[in-house]
Amino acid sequence: MSSSTWAIETRGITRVFESRKGFLFREATRTEALRGIDLTVERGAIFGLLGPNGAGKTTLTKILSTLLLPTGGTARVLGHDVVREAGYLRPRMGLVLGGERGLYNRVSGRENLRYFADLYGIPLAERDRRISEVLARVDLEGAADRRVEEYSRGMKQKLHIARGILHRPEILFLDEPTIGLDPKSARETRKLVRSLLADGVTIFLTTHYMFEAEELCPELAILSKGRIVARDTVARLRQLVGGDRTLEAEAYGFEDREIDVLRHLPGVSKVLNEEFGPVSRLTIRVRTEETRPDALREILLPGHPEVAVRERRTSLEDVYLDLVEEEAR
Amino acid sequence: MAGAVVEYSRGRSTYASLRLSVLQFLADPQWLVPSMIAPVIFALVSFELFRGAGAYFLTYAILGAGMMSMWGQTLYGSGWATGQDREFGTLEPTVQSPTPYLYVILGRVLWNVVSGLFGGLIVYLVILGVAGGPPAVPDPLGFALLFVFVMVTLAAVGVIFAAFYVYTRYAGFIQNIGEFAFYIGTGCMFPVVLLPFYTNPISLFFPPTWGLDALRYLAIPGYQGFSWGFWGDLAGAIVTTAAYLGAAAALFRRVERHVLEEGSLAWY
Ligand SMILES: Nc1ncnc2c1ncn2[C@@H]1O[C@H](COP(=O)(O)OP(=O)(O)OP(=O)(O)O)[C@@H](O)[C@H]1O
Ligand SMILES: [Mg+2]
Repeated sequence: MSSSTWAIETRGITRVFESRKGFLFREATRTEALRGIDLTVERGAIFGLLGPNGAGKTTLTKILSTLLLPTGGTARVLGHDVVREAGYLRPRMGLVLGGERGLYNRVSGRENLRYFADLYGIPLAERDRRISEVLARVDLEGAADRRVEEYSRGMKQKLHIARGILHRPEILFLDEPTIGLDPKSARETRKLVRSLLADGVTIFLTTHYMFEAEELCPELAILSKGRIVARDTVARLRQLVGGDRTLEAEAYGFEDREIDVLRHLPGVSKVLNEEFGPVSRLTIRVRTEETRPDALREILLPGHPEVAVRERRTSLEDVYLDLVEEEAR
Repeated sequence: MAGAVVEYSRGRSTYASLRLSVLQFLADPQWLVPSMIAPVIFALVSFELFRGAGAYFLTYAILGAGMMSMWGQTLYGSGWATGQDREFGTLEPTVQSPTPYLYVILGRVLWNVVSGLFGGLIVYLVILGVAGGPPAVPDPLGFALLFVFVMVTLAAVGVIFAAFYVYTRYAGFIQNIGEFAFYIGTGCMFPVVLLPFYTNPISLFFPPTWGLDALRYLAIPGYQGFSWGFWGDLAGAIVTTAAYLGAAAALFRRVERHVLEEGSLAWY
Protein backbone atom coordinates (compact mmCIF):
# COMPACT_ATOMS: atom_id res chain seq x y z
CA MET A 1 0.00 0.00 0.00
CA SER A 2 1.35 3.42 -0.84
CA SER A 3 1.77 5.66 2.14
CA SER A 4 -0.92 8.11 1.10
CA THR A 5 -3.65 5.51 1.50
CA TRP A 6 -3.17 5.83 5.25
CA ALA A 7 -5.16 8.46 7.04
CA ILE A 8 -2.75 8.21 9.94
CA GLU A 9 0.77 6.84 9.87
CA THR A 10 3.15 7.30 12.77
CA ARG A 11 6.68 6.06 13.33
CA GLY A 12 8.23 5.93 16.75
CA ILE A 13 6.34 8.89 18.18
CA THR A 14 7.63 9.86 21.60
CA ARG A 15 6.65 12.75 23.80
CA VAL A 16 8.38 13.88 26.94
CA PHE A 17 6.99 16.58 29.19
CA GLU A 18 9.49 18.46 31.27
CA SER A 19 7.92 20.45 34.03
CA ARG A 20 9.31 22.33 36.97
CA LYS A 21 7.88 22.98 40.32
CA GLY A 22 9.04 24.88 43.34
CA PHE A 23 10.30 28.43 43.48
CA LEU A 24 13.96 28.84 44.31
CA PHE A 25 15.03 25.23 44.19
CA ARG A 26 13.24 24.26 41.06
CA GLU A 27 12.80 20.59 40.74
CA ALA A 28 12.49 19.23 37.24
CA THR A 29 10.22 16.31 36.55
CA ARG A 30 10.17 14.32 33.34
CA THR A 31 7.09 12.50 32.15
CA GLU A 32 7.38 10.15 29.23
CA ALA A 33 3.83 10.39 27.99
CA LEU A 34 4.44 8.44 24.76
CA ARG A 35 7.22 5.90 24.30
CA GLY A 36 7.35 5.01 20.62
CA ILE A 37 4.00 4.82 18.91
CA ASP A 38 3.80 3.06 15.55
CA LEU A 39 0.35 3.25 14.17
CA THR A 40 -1.48 3.14 10.87
CA VAL A 41 -5.13 3.86 10.27
CA GLU A 42 -6.80 3.45 6.90
CA ARG A 43 -8.66 6.26 5.21
CA GLY A 44 -12.37 6.26 5.85
CA ALA A 45 -12.00 3.91 8.83
CA ILE A 46 -12.81 4.41 12.46
CA PHE A 47 -10.09 3.66 14.95
CA GLY A 48 -10.55 3.41 18.70
CA LEU A 49 -7.97 4.03 21.37
CA LEU A 50 -8.48 2.75 24.89
CA GLY A 51 -6.26 3.10 27.91
CA PRO A 52 -6.17 4.01 31.58
CA ASN A 53 -5.98 7.60 32.85
CA GLY A 54 -2.64 9.12 32.00
CA ALA A 55 -1.85 6.49 29.36
CA GLY A 56 -1.20 9.17 26.74
CA LYS A 57 -4.42 9.16 24.69
CA THR A 58 -4.96 12.91 24.77
CA THR A 59 -1.26 13.51 24.16
CA LEU A 60 -1.36 11.36 21.03
CA THR A 61 -4.59 13.01 19.88
CA LYS A 62 -3.02 16.45 20.24
CA ILE A 63 0.12 15.48 18.37
CA LEU A 64 -1.90 14.09 15.47
CA SER A 65 -4.11 17.18 15.40
CA THR A 66 -1.11 19.59 15.32
CA LEU A 67 -1.60 21.01 18.83
CA LEU A 68 1.53 19.49 20.26
CA LEU A 69 4.92 18.65 18.79
CA PRO A 70 6.32 15.18 19.29
CA THR A 71 9.69 14.90 21.02
CA GLY A 72 10.73 12.19 18.59
CA GLY A 73 9.42 10.21 15.63
CA THR A 74 7.24 11.28 12.74
CA ALA A 75 3.53 11.39 12.13
CA ARG A 76 1.69 11.82 8.89
CA VAL A 77 -2.01 12.52 8.64
CA LEU A 78 -3.73 12.33 5.23
CA GLY A 79 -0.23 11.80 3.87
CA HIS A 80 1.12 15.07 5.29
CA ASP A 81 3.58 15.66 8.09
CA VAL A 82 1.84 17.00 11.20
CA VAL A 83 4.75 19.21 12.16
CA ARG A 84 5.90 20.64 8.86
CA GLU A 85 2.55 20.70 7.07
CA ALA A 86 0.22 21.80 9.84
CA GLY A 87 -1.02 24.62 7.62
CA TYR A 88 -2.22 22.12 5.02
CA LEU A 89 -3.78 19.85 7.59
CA ARG A 90 -5.62 22.21 9.90
CA PRO A 91 -8.51 23.09 7.58
CA ARG A 92 -8.93 19.37 6.86
CA MET A 93 -9.09 18.08 10.39
CA GLY A 94 -11.64 18.41 13.14
CA LEU A 95 -10.85 18.08 16.81
CA VAL A 96 -13.16 17.57 19.75
CA LEU A 97 -11.31 17.75 23.05
CA GLY A 98 -14.54 18.34 24.91
CA GLY A 99 -14.96 19.24 28.52
CA GLU A 100 -16.21 22.28 30.36
CA ARG A 101 -13.63 24.60 28.82
CA GLY A 102 -12.77 25.55 25.27
CA LEU A 103 -15.81 27.72 24.51
CA TYR A 104 -16.60 31.41 24.73
CA ASN A 105 -18.98 31.41 27.64
CA ARG A 106 -20.30 34.93 27.40
CA VAL A 107 -21.79 34.55 23.94
CA SER A 108 -24.31 32.12 22.54
CA GLY A 109 -23.60 28.70 21.10
CA ARG A 110 -24.52 30.00 17.67
CA GLU A 111 -22.04 32.87 18.00
CA ASN A 112 -19.33 30.43 19.02
CA LEU A 113 -19.95 28.46 15.85
CA ARG A 114 -20.12 31.57 13.72
CA TYR A 115 -16.73 32.69 14.99
CA PHE A 116 -15.11 29.40 14.13
CA ALA A 117 -16.95 29.22 10.80
CA ASP A 118 -15.24 32.51 9.97
CA LEU A 119 -11.82 31.32 11.11
CA TYR A 120 -12.26 28.26 8.88
CA GLY A 121 -13.39 30.37 5.95
CA ILE A 122 -16.69 28.54 5.44
CA PRO A 123 -18.33 30.29 2.45
CA LEU A 124 -20.50 33.16 3.65
CA ALA A 125 -23.43 32.05 1.53
CA GLU A 126 -23.47 28.70 3.32
CA ARG A 127 -22.39 29.71 6.78
CA ASP A 128 -25.65 30.26 8.60
CA ARG A 129 -27.34 27.28 7.02
CA ARG A 130 -24.43 25.03 7.97
CA ILE A 131 -24.46 26.29 11.53
CA SER A 132 -28.16 25.47 11.84
CA GLU A 133 -27.48 22.10 10.27
CA VAL A 134 -24.82 21.05 12.78
CA LEU A 135 -26.83 22.45 15.67
CA ALA A 136 -29.66 20.19 14.56
CA ARG A 137 -27.30 17.25 14.21
CA VAL A 138 -26.24 17.51 17.84
CA ASP A 139 -29.76 18.41 18.97
CA LEU A 140 -28.87 21.81 20.33
CA GLU A 141 -31.19 24.00 18.26
CA GLY A 142 -33.34 24.90 21.22
CA ALA A 143 -30.43 26.35 23.20
CA ALA A 144 -28.48 27.79 20.27
CA ASP A 145 -29.16 31.39 21.20
CA ARG A 146 -28.56 31.10 24.90
CA ARG A 147 -25.22 32.05 26.40
CA VAL A 148 -22.87 29.12 26.76
CA GLU A 149 -22.36 29.91 30.46
CA GLU A 150 -25.94 28.74 30.95
CA TYR A 151 -25.28 25.39 29.28
CA SER A 152 -25.13 22.14 31.16
CA ARG A 153 -22.03 20.02 30.79
CA GLY A 154 -23.64 17.80 28.18
CA MET A 155 -24.83 20.79 26.18
CA LYS A 156 -21.28 22.13 26.12
CA GLN A 157 -20.07 18.75 24.94
CA LYS A 158 -22.58 18.87 22.10
CA LEU A 159 -21.36 22.31 21.13
CA HIS A 160 -17.79 20.99 21.07
CA ILE A 161 -18.88 18.25 18.70
CA ALA A 162 -20.78 20.72 16.53
CA ARG A 163 -17.68 22.86 16.22
CA GLY A 164 -15.58 19.83 15.33
CA ILE A 165 -17.71 18.93 12.30
CA LEU A 166 -18.75 22.41 11.19
CA HIS A 167 -16.10 22.71 8.47
CA ARG A 168 -16.64 19.15 7.21
CA PRO A 169 -13.21 17.78 8.02
CA GLU A 170 -11.73 14.79 6.23
CA ILE A 171 -10.51 13.39 9.51
CA LEU A 172 -12.06 13.87 12.92
CA PHE A 173 -10.33 13.39 16.26
CA LEU A 174 -12.72 12.69 19.11
CA ASP A 175 -11.22 12.62 22.60
CA GLU A 176 -13.84 11.00 24.84
CA PRO A 177 -16.73 12.46 22.83
CA THR A 178 -19.60 11.12 24.91
CA ILE A 179 -18.26 12.11 28.30
CA GLY A 180 -20.98 13.91 30.24
CA LEU A 181 -23.74 13.02 27.82
CA ASP A 182 -26.97 11.41 28.95
CA PRO A 183 -27.62 7.92 27.54
CA LYS A 184 -29.89 9.17 24.78
CA SER A 185 -27.48 11.89 23.68
CA ALA A 186 -24.58 9.47 23.87
CA ARG A 187 -26.44 7.12 21.59
CA GLU A 188 -27.28 9.98 19.22
CA THR A 189 -23.61 10.92 19.18
CA ARG A 190 -22.60 7.39 18.28
CA LYS A 191 -25.18 7.52 15.51
CA LEU A 192 -23.65 10.77 14.35
CA VAL A 193 -20.22 9.18 14.34
CA ARG A 194 -21.52 6.34 12.18
CA SER A 195 -23.14 8.74 9.74
CA LEU A 196 -19.90 10.73 9.42
CA LEU A 197 -18.16 7.46 8.73
CA ALA A 198 -20.70 6.69 6.04
CA ASP A 199 -19.84 10.08 4.54
CA GLY A 200 -16.23 8.96 4.22
CA VAL A 201 -14.75 10.82 7.20
CA THR A 202 -11.88 9.05 8.96
CA ILE A 203 -12.43 8.92 12.71
CA PHE A 204 -9.92 8.63 15.52
CA LEU A 205 -11.67 8.10 18.81
CA THR A 206 -10.58 7.69 22.40
CA THR A 207 -12.97 6.44 25.02
CA HIS A 208 -13.26 4.85 28.43
CA TYR A 209 -16.57 3.23 27.54
CA MET A 210 -15.96 -0.32 26.45
CA PHE A 211 -19.36 -0.84 24.87
CA GLU A 212 -18.85 2.34 22.92
CA ALA A 213 -15.54 1.11 21.57
CA GLU A 214 -17.01 -2.31 20.84
CA GLU A 215 -20.05 -0.84 19.14
CA LEU A 216 -18.20 1.69 17.00
CA CYS A 217 -14.73 0.37 16.33
CA PRO A 218 -14.04 -2.77 14.34
CA GLU A 219 -10.41 -2.21 15.22
CA LEU A 220 -8.87 -0.75 18.30
CA ALA A 221 -5.69 -0.33 20.24
CA ILE A 222 -4.96 -0.32 23.90
CA LEU A 223 -2.50 2.23 25.16
CA SER A 224 -0.83 1.75 28.49
CA LYS A 225 1.93 3.92 29.92
CA GLY A 226 2.70 5.46 26.58
CA ARG A 227 2.91 2.21 24.64
CA ILE A 228 0.44 0.40 22.44
CA VAL A 229 0.12 -2.96 24.16
CA ALA A 230 -2.38 -4.45 21.73
CA ARG A 231 -3.97 -3.54 18.47
CA ASP A 232 -6.50 -5.69 16.67
CA THR A 233 -10.17 -6.45 16.10
CA VAL A 234 -12.25 -7.06 19.20
CA ALA A 235 -12.62 -10.75 18.27
CA ARG A 236 -8.89 -11.27 17.93
CA LEU A 237 -8.20 -9.36 21.12
CA ARG A 238 -10.50 -11.83 22.89
CA GLN A 239 -8.34 -14.67 21.65
CA LEU A 240 -5.23 -12.75 22.63
CA VAL A 241 -6.27 -12.68 26.27
CA GLY A 242 -7.21 -16.34 26.26
CA GLY A 243 -10.55 -17.03 24.70
CA ASP A 244 -13.90 -15.56 23.99
CA ARG A 245 -15.77 -17.55 26.64
CA THR A 246 -15.68 -16.51 30.26
CA LEU A 247 -17.00 -18.51 33.19
CA GLU A 248 -17.70 -16.93 36.54
CA ALA A 249 -18.17 -18.64 39.90
CA GLU A 250 -19.16 -16.89 43.11
CA ALA A 251 -19.03 -18.25 46.63
CA TYR A 252 -17.74 -17.44 50.11
CA GLY A 253 -14.03 -17.91 49.50
CA PHE A 254 -12.19 -20.45 47.35
CA GLU A 255 -9.19 -22.54 48.24
CA ASP A 256 -5.89 -22.52 46.32
CA ARG A 257 -6.27 -26.26 45.75
CA GLU A 258 -9.58 -25.75 43.96
CA ILE A 259 -8.21 -22.94 41.85
CA ASP A 260 -5.33 -25.16 40.86
CA VAL A 261 -7.68 -27.87 39.67
CA LEU A 262 -9.61 -25.34 37.58
CA ARG A 263 -6.40 -24.08 36.00
CA HIS A 264 -5.76 -27.53 34.60
CA LEU A 265 -9.15 -28.03 32.98
CA PRO A 266 -8.94 -28.31 29.18
CA GLY A 267 -8.95 -24.96 27.35
CA VAL A 268 -8.63 -22.82 30.44
CA SER A 269 -6.15 -20.03 29.83
CA LYS A 270 -6.53 -17.96 32.92
CA VAL A 271 -8.13 -17.97 36.37
CA LEU A 272 -8.57 -14.77 38.29
CA ASN A 273 -9.66 -14.72 41.95
CA GLU A 274 -11.13 -11.48 43.27
CA GLU A 275 -12.66 -10.77 46.65
CA PHE A 276 -15.63 -8.52 47.14
CA GLY A 277 -16.08 -8.40 50.91
CA PRO A 278 -17.07 -11.88 52.03
CA VAL A 279 -17.79 -13.01 48.48
CA SER A 280 -15.10 -14.26 46.13
CA ARG A 281 -15.43 -14.36 42.39
CA LEU A 282 -13.46 -16.58 40.06
CA THR A 283 -13.20 -15.42 36.48
CA ILE A 284 -12.11 -18.18 34.13
CA ARG A 285 -11.12 -17.51 30.54
CA VAL A 286 -11.79 -20.51 28.29
CA ARG A 287 -10.38 -21.04 24.84
CA THR A 288 -12.39 -24.07 23.71
CA GLU A 289 -15.91 -25.48 24.03
CA GLU A 290 -14.86 -28.43 26.21
CA THR A 291 -15.06 -26.87 29.62
CA ARG A 292 -18.68 -26.04 30.45
CA PRO A 293 -20.26 -24.54 33.58
CA ASP A 294 -21.26 -28.05 34.70
CA ALA A 295 -17.64 -29.09 34.97
CA LEU A 296 -17.05 -26.16 37.30
CA ARG A 297 -20.05 -26.99 39.46
CA GLU A 298 -18.83 -30.56 39.81
CA ILE A 299 -15.53 -29.40 41.19
CA LEU A 300 -16.77 -26.57 43.39
CA LEU A 301 -20.12 -27.83 44.79
CA PRO A 302 -18.67 -30.24 47.38
CA GLY A 303 -16.84 -27.45 49.18
CA HIS A 304 -19.38 -24.67 48.39
CA PRO A 305 -23.03 -25.67 48.34
CA GLU A 306 -23.89 -22.00 47.73
CA VAL A 307 -21.76 -21.62 44.60
CA ALA A 308 -23.27 -19.82 41.60
CA VAL A 309 -21.76 -20.45 38.20
CA ARG A 310 -22.53 -18.66 34.95
CA GLU A 311 -21.13 -18.29 31.50
CA ARG A 312 -20.82 -15.16 29.41
CA ARG A 313 -18.98 -13.87 26.43
CA THR A 314 -15.58 -12.37 27.16
CA SER A 315 -16.25 -8.67 27.09
CA LEU A 316 -13.98 -5.99 25.78
CA GLU A 317 -13.71 -4.84 29.36
CA ASP A 318 -12.24 -8.23 30.32
CA VAL A 319 -9.76 -7.94 27.49
CA TYR A 320 -8.89 -4.42 28.49
CA LEU A 321 -8.39 -5.21 32.15
CA ASP A 322 -6.28 -8.25 31.33
CA LEU A 323 -4.01 -6.34 29.00
CA VAL A 324 -3.60 -3.31 31.20
CA GLU A 325 -2.96 -5.51 34.18
CA GLU A 326 -0.37 -7.51 32.30
CA GLU A 327 1.38 -4.31 31.37
CA ALA A 328 1.35 -3.14 34.97
CA ARG A 329 3.07 -6.32 36.14
CA MET B 1 -19.27 14.30 2.40
CA ALA B 2 -16.02 15.86 3.45
CA GLY B 3 -16.38 19.31 1.93
CA ALA B 4 -13.97 20.98 -0.41
CA VAL B 5 -11.36 22.81 1.63
CA VAL B 6 -11.81 26.54 1.62
CA GLU B 7 -9.14 29.05 2.48
CA TYR B 8 -9.42 31.31 5.46
CA SER B 9 -9.27 34.99 4.67
CA ARG B 10 -7.17 37.34 6.79
CA GLY B 11 -9.69 40.14 6.56
CA ARG B 12 -12.62 37.96 7.48
CA SER B 13 -10.81 36.35 10.38
CA THR B 14 -9.72 39.73 11.71
CA TYR B 15 -13.27 40.99 11.45
CA ALA B 16 -14.66 37.87 13.13
CA SER B 17 -12.28 38.36 16.02
CA LEU B 18 -13.16 42.05 16.32
CA ARG B 19 -16.85 41.15 16.26
CA LEU B 20 -16.47 38.51 18.94
CA SER B 21 -14.61 41.04 21.09
CA VAL B 22 -17.48 43.49 20.74
CA LEU B 23 -20.02 40.80 21.65
CA GLN B 24 -18.03 39.79 24.69
CA PHE B 25 -17.61 43.41 25.67
CA LEU B 26 -21.33 44.08 25.37
CA ALA B 27 -22.00 41.09 27.58
CA ASP B 28 -19.94 42.70 30.31
CA PRO B 29 -19.10 46.34 29.54
CA GLN B 30 -18.15 47.68 32.95
CA TRP B 31 -14.46 46.85 32.76
CA LEU B 32 -13.93 49.92 30.62
CA VAL B 33 -14.20 52.04 33.76
CA PRO B 34 -11.14 50.93 35.77
CA SER B 35 -8.83 51.47 32.81
CA MET B 36 -9.84 55.15 32.78
CA ILE B 37 -9.40 55.98 36.43
CA ALA B 38 -5.61 56.23 36.41
CA PRO B 39 -5.38 58.49 33.33
CA VAL B 40 -8.03 60.87 34.70
CA ILE B 41 -6.18 61.18 37.99
CA PHE B 42 -2.85 61.66 36.22
CA ALA B 43 -4.33 64.35 34.04
CA LEU B 44 -5.88 66.22 36.98
CA VAL B 45 -2.73 66.03 39.08
CA SER B 46 -0.43 67.24 36.33
CA PHE B 47 -2.90 69.96 35.54
CA GLU B 48 -2.73 71.17 39.14
CA LEU B 49 1.05 70.92 39.26
CA PHE B 50 1.68 72.94 36.13
CA ARG B 51 -1.27 75.30 36.42
CA GLY B 52 0.74 78.38 35.47
CA ALA B 53 2.68 76.78 32.62
CA GLY B 54 0.72 78.43 29.83
CA ALA B 55 -2.46 77.93 27.85
CA TYR B 56 -1.15 75.03 25.82
CA PHE B 57 -0.24 73.05 28.81
CA LEU B 58 -3.84 71.94 28.96
CA THR B 59 -3.52 70.49 25.46
CA TYR B 60 -0.40 68.75 26.60
CA ALA B 61 -2.13 67.23 29.61
CA ILE B 62 -5.14 66.10 27.59
CA LEU B 63 -3.01 64.51 24.90
CA GLY B 64 -0.93 62.76 27.51
CA ALA B 65 -3.80 61.44 29.55
CA GLY B 66 -5.84 60.53 26.49
CA MET B 67 -2.93 58.56 25.10
CA MET B 68 -2.41 56.92 28.40
CA SER B 69 -5.98 55.78 28.48
CA MET B 70 -5.87 54.50 24.92
CA TRP B 71 -2.58 52.90 25.55
CA GLY B 72 -3.79 51.18 28.69
CA GLN B 73 -6.82 49.93 26.87
CA THR B 74 -4.87 48.66 23.88
CA LEU B 75 -2.14 46.95 25.75
CA TYR B 76 -4.16 45.72 28.65
CA GLY B 77 -7.09 44.72 26.48
CA SER B 78 -5.09 42.81 23.89
CA GLY B 79 -3.03 40.93 26.36
CA TRP B 80 -5.94 40.31 28.61
CA ALA B 81 -8.08 38.86 25.83
CA THR B 82 -5.32 36.40 25.00
CA GLY B 83 -4.92 35.58 28.67
CA GLN B 84 -8.64 34.89 28.65
CA ASP B 85 -8.22 32.54 25.71
CA ARG B 86 -5.92 30.57 27.97
CA GLU B 87 -8.32 30.70 30.84
CA PHE B 88 -11.32 29.68 28.76
CA GLY B 89 -9.34 26.93 27.08
CA THR B 90 -10.14 28.50 23.71
CA LEU B 91 -6.50 28.98 22.80
CA GLU B 92 -6.27 25.35 21.63
CA PRO B 93 -9.21 25.33 19.21
CA THR B 94 -8.21 28.77 17.94
CA VAL B 95 -4.64 27.72 17.23
CA GLN B 96 -5.98 24.51 15.68
CA SER B 97 -8.05 26.50 13.20
CA PRO B 98 -6.41 27.42 9.89
CA THR B 99 -6.30 31.14 10.70
CA PRO B 100 -2.92 32.20 12.14
CA TYR B 101 -3.41 33.52 15.66
CA LEU B 102 -1.90 36.84 14.59
CA TYR B 103 -5.13 37.81 12.81
CA VAL B 104 -7.22 36.90 15.81
CA ILE B 105 -5.02 39.22 17.84
CA LEU B 106 -5.21 41.92 15.22
CA GLY B 107 -9.01 41.94 15.37
CA ARG B 108 -8.92 42.24 19.13
CA VAL B 109 -6.33 44.97 19.12
CA LEU B 110 -8.35 46.98 16.63
CA TRP B 111 -11.37 46.72 18.88
CA ASN B 112 -9.28 47.71 21.86
CA VAL B 113 -7.94 50.75 20.08
CA VAL B 114 -11.49 51.81 19.28
CA SER B 115 -12.69 51.21 22.81
CA GLY B 116 -9.60 53.05 24.06
CA LEU B 117 -10.82 56.01 22.09
CA PHE B 118 -13.94 56.11 24.25
CA GLY B 119 -11.63 56.20 27.23
CA GLY B 120 -9.64 59.05 25.74
CA LEU B 121 -12.85 60.91 25.03
CA ILE B 122 -14.00 60.58 28.60
CA VAL B 123 -10.65 61.82 29.90
CA TYR B 124 -11.08 64.77 27.60
CA LEU B 125 -14.56 65.50 28.89
CA VAL B 126 -13.49 65.25 32.53
CA ILE B 127 -10.65 67.72 32.00
CA LEU B 128 -12.94 69.97 30.03
CA GLY B 129 -15.31 70.03 32.99
CA VAL B 130 -12.58 70.77 35.50
CA ALA B 131 -10.28 73.05 33.57
CA GLY B 132 -12.28 74.45 30.69
CA GLY B 133 -11.57 74.00 26.99
CA PRO B 134 -8.03 73.87 25.59
CA PRO B 135 -7.04 76.26 22.80
CA ALA B 136 -8.21 75.20 19.34
CA VAL B 137 -5.95 72.92 17.33
CA PRO B 138 -4.55 74.90 14.38
CA ASP B 139 -4.95 72.12 11.78
CA PRO B 140 -7.90 69.92 12.81
CA LEU B 141 -7.89 67.72 9.69
CA GLY B 142 -4.19 66.96 9.87
CA PHE B 143 -4.56 66.36 13.58
CA ALA B 144 -7.44 63.92 13.07
CA LEU B 145 -5.56 61.96 10.41
CA LEU B 146 -2.46 61.79 12.53
CA PHE B 147 -4.56 60.75 15.49
CA VAL B 148 -5.90 57.76 13.59
CA PHE B 149 -2.37 56.84 12.63
CA VAL B 150 -1.25 57.08 16.25
CA MET B 151 -3.96 54.53 17.00
CA VAL B 152 -2.32 52.25 14.47
CA THR B 153 1.04 52.70 16.18
CA LEU B 154 -0.60 51.68 19.43
CA ALA B 155 -2.13 48.64 17.78
CA ALA B 156 1.31 47.62 16.53
CA VAL B 157 2.64 47.57 20.08
CA GLY B 158 -0.50 45.80 21.28
CA VAL B 159 0.05 42.98 18.79
CA ILE B 160 3.62 42.47 19.93
CA PHE B 161 2.63 42.49 23.58
CA ALA B 162 -0.15 39.99 22.97
CA ALA B 163 2.48 37.58 21.69
CA PHE B 164 3.83 37.37 25.25
CA TYR B 165 0.45 36.18 26.41
CA VAL B 166 0.50 33.38 23.92
CA TYR B 167 4.08 32.61 24.89
CA THR B 168 3.58 32.28 28.61
CA ARG B 169 0.87 32.38 31.19
CA TYR B 170 3.09 34.68 33.26
CA ALA B 171 2.71 37.47 30.74
CA GLY B 172 0.44 39.52 33.02
CA PHE B 173 3.34 39.95 35.36
CA ILE B 174 5.68 41.11 32.62
CA GLN B 175 3.06 43.49 31.39
CA ASN B 176 2.41 45.13 34.72
CA ILE B 177 6.00 46.18 34.76
CA GLY B 178 6.15 47.00 31.08
CA GLU B 179 3.03 49.09 31.03
CA PHE B 180 4.24 51.56 33.57
CA ALA B 181 7.67 51.89 32.06
CA PHE B 182 5.89 52.57 28.84
CA TYR B 183 3.82 55.49 30.13
CA ILE B 184 6.97 57.18 31.20
CA GLY B 185 9.18 56.00 28.37
CA THR B 186 6.91 57.32 25.63
CA GLY B 187 6.54 60.64 27.38
CA CYS B 188 2.77 60.29 27.60
CA MET B 189 2.71 62.26 30.80
CA PHE B 190 6.14 63.81 31.12
CA PRO B 191 8.23 65.06 28.27
CA VAL B 192 10.86 62.49 27.48
CA VAL B 193 13.53 65.19 27.64
CA LEU B 194 12.93 65.53 31.37
CA LEU B 195 13.95 61.94 31.91
CA PRO B 196 17.52 60.73 32.38
CA PHE B 197 19.35 60.60 29.08
CA TYR B 198 19.58 56.83 28.96
CA THR B 199 15.79 56.36 28.80
CA ASN B 200 15.64 58.37 25.62
CA PRO B 201 17.00 55.85 23.16
CA ILE B 202 14.80 53.16 24.67
CA SER B 203 11.65 55.17 24.19
CA LEU B 204 12.52 55.54 20.53
CA PHE B 205 11.86 51.84 20.04
CA PHE B 206 8.17 52.46 20.70
CA PRO B 207 6.23 53.73 17.68
CA PRO B 208 3.78 55.78 19.80
CA THR B 209 6.66 57.90 21.16
CA TRP B 210 7.19 59.28 17.68
CA GLY B 211 3.50 59.52 16.94
CA LEU B 212 2.67 61.38 20.09
CA ASP B 213 5.49 63.86 19.62
CA ALA B 214 4.22 64.53 16.10
CA LEU B 215 0.74 65.09 17.47
CA ARG B 216 2.08 67.68 19.86
CA TYR B 217 3.80 69.51 17.04
CA LEU B 218 0.44 69.79 15.35
CA ALA B 219 -1.59 70.74 18.40
CA ILE B 220 0.75 73.12 20.21
CA PRO B 221 2.19 76.09 18.31
CA GLY B 222 5.84 76.63 19.14
CA TYR B 223 6.20 73.14 20.63
CA GLN B 224 9.77 71.94 20.89
CA GLY B 225 9.94 68.19 21.02
CA PHE B 226 12.51 65.96 19.41
CA SER B 227 14.99 68.02 17.51
CA TRP B 228 14.19 66.38 14.18
CA GLY B 229 10.80 68.09 14.18
CA PHE B 230 7.38 67.05 12.93
CA TRP B 231 8.41 65.33 9.71
CA GLY B 232 11.17 63.46 11.43
CA ASP B 233 8.65 62.28 14.00
CA LEU B 234 6.23 61.17 11.33
CA ALA B 235 8.89 59.25 9.44
CA GLY B 236 10.06 57.63 12.66
CA ALA B 237 6.52 56.60 13.56
CA ILE B 238 5.96 55.05 10.13
CA VAL B 239 9.25 53.18 10.13
CA THR B 240 8.89 51.79 13.66
CA THR B 241 5.26 50.79 13.12
CA ALA B 242 6.15 49.02 9.90
CA ALA B 243 8.97 47.26 11.71
CA TYR B 244 6.64 46.10 14.49
CA LEU B 245 3.97 44.82 12.14
CA GLY B 246 6.60 43.25 9.91
CA ALA B 247 8.12 41.43 12.85
CA ALA B 248 4.73 40.33 14.18
CA ALA B 249 4.13 37.48 11.72
CA ALA B 250 7.55 35.95 12.33
CA LEU B 251 7.24 36.48 16.06
CA PHE B 252 3.90 34.70 16.18
CA ARG B 253 5.25 31.77 14.21
CA ARG B 254 8.06 31.39 16.74
CA VAL B 255 5.74 31.78 19.68
CA GLU B 256 3.42 29.13 18.31
CA ARG B 257 6.32 26.79 17.76
CA HIS B 258 7.43 27.35 21.33
CA VAL B 259 4.07 26.61 22.92
CA LEU B 260 3.52 23.54 20.76
CA GLU B 261 6.92 22.28 21.82
CA GLU B 262 6.34 23.01 25.47
CA GLY B 263 2.78 21.71 25.41
CA SER B 264 1.58 24.72 27.36
CA LEU B 265 -1.36 25.84 25.22
CA ALA B 266 -3.85 24.57 27.74
CA TRP B 267 -2.14 26.05 30.79
CA TYR B 268 -3.63 28.99 32.56
N1 LIG C 1 1.05 19.67 29.36
C1 LIG C 1 1.55 18.69 30.10
N2 LIG C 1 2.61 18.91 30.91
C2 LIG C 1 3.13 17.91 31.65
N3 LIG C 1 2.69 16.66 31.66
C3 LIG C 1 1.64 16.36 30.88
C4 LIG C 1 1.01 17.35 30.07
N4 LIG C 1 -0.01 16.77 29.40
C5 LIG C 1 -0.02 15.48 29.78
N5 LIG C 1 0.97 15.21 30.65
C6 LIG C 1 1.30 13.89 31.24
O1 LIG C 1 1.36 12.97 30.19
C7 LIG C 1 0.77 11.74 30.55
C8 LIG C 1 -0.33 11.37 29.57
O2 LIG C 1 -1.41 12.28 29.71
P1 LIG C 1 -2.69 12.23 28.77
O3 LIG C 1 -3.50 13.42 29.07
O4 LIG C 1 -2.26 12.04 27.37
O5 LIG C 1 -3.44 10.92 29.29
P2 LIG C 1 -4.85 10.31 28.83
O6 LIG C 1 -4.58 8.94 28.34
O7 LIG C 1 -5.54 11.23 27.91
O8 LIG C 1 -5.61 10.21 30.22
P3 LIG C 1 -7.18 10.40 30.57
O9 LIG C 1 -7.83 9.09 30.32
O10 LIG C 1 -7.17 10.72 32.02
O11 LIG C 1 -7.71 11.51 29.74
C9 LIG C 1 0.29 11.92 31.99
O12 LIG C 1 1.27 11.37 32.83
C10 LIG C 1 0.20 13.41 32.16
O13 LIG C 1 0.47 13.76 33.48
MG1 LIG D 1 -7.31 12.32 28.04
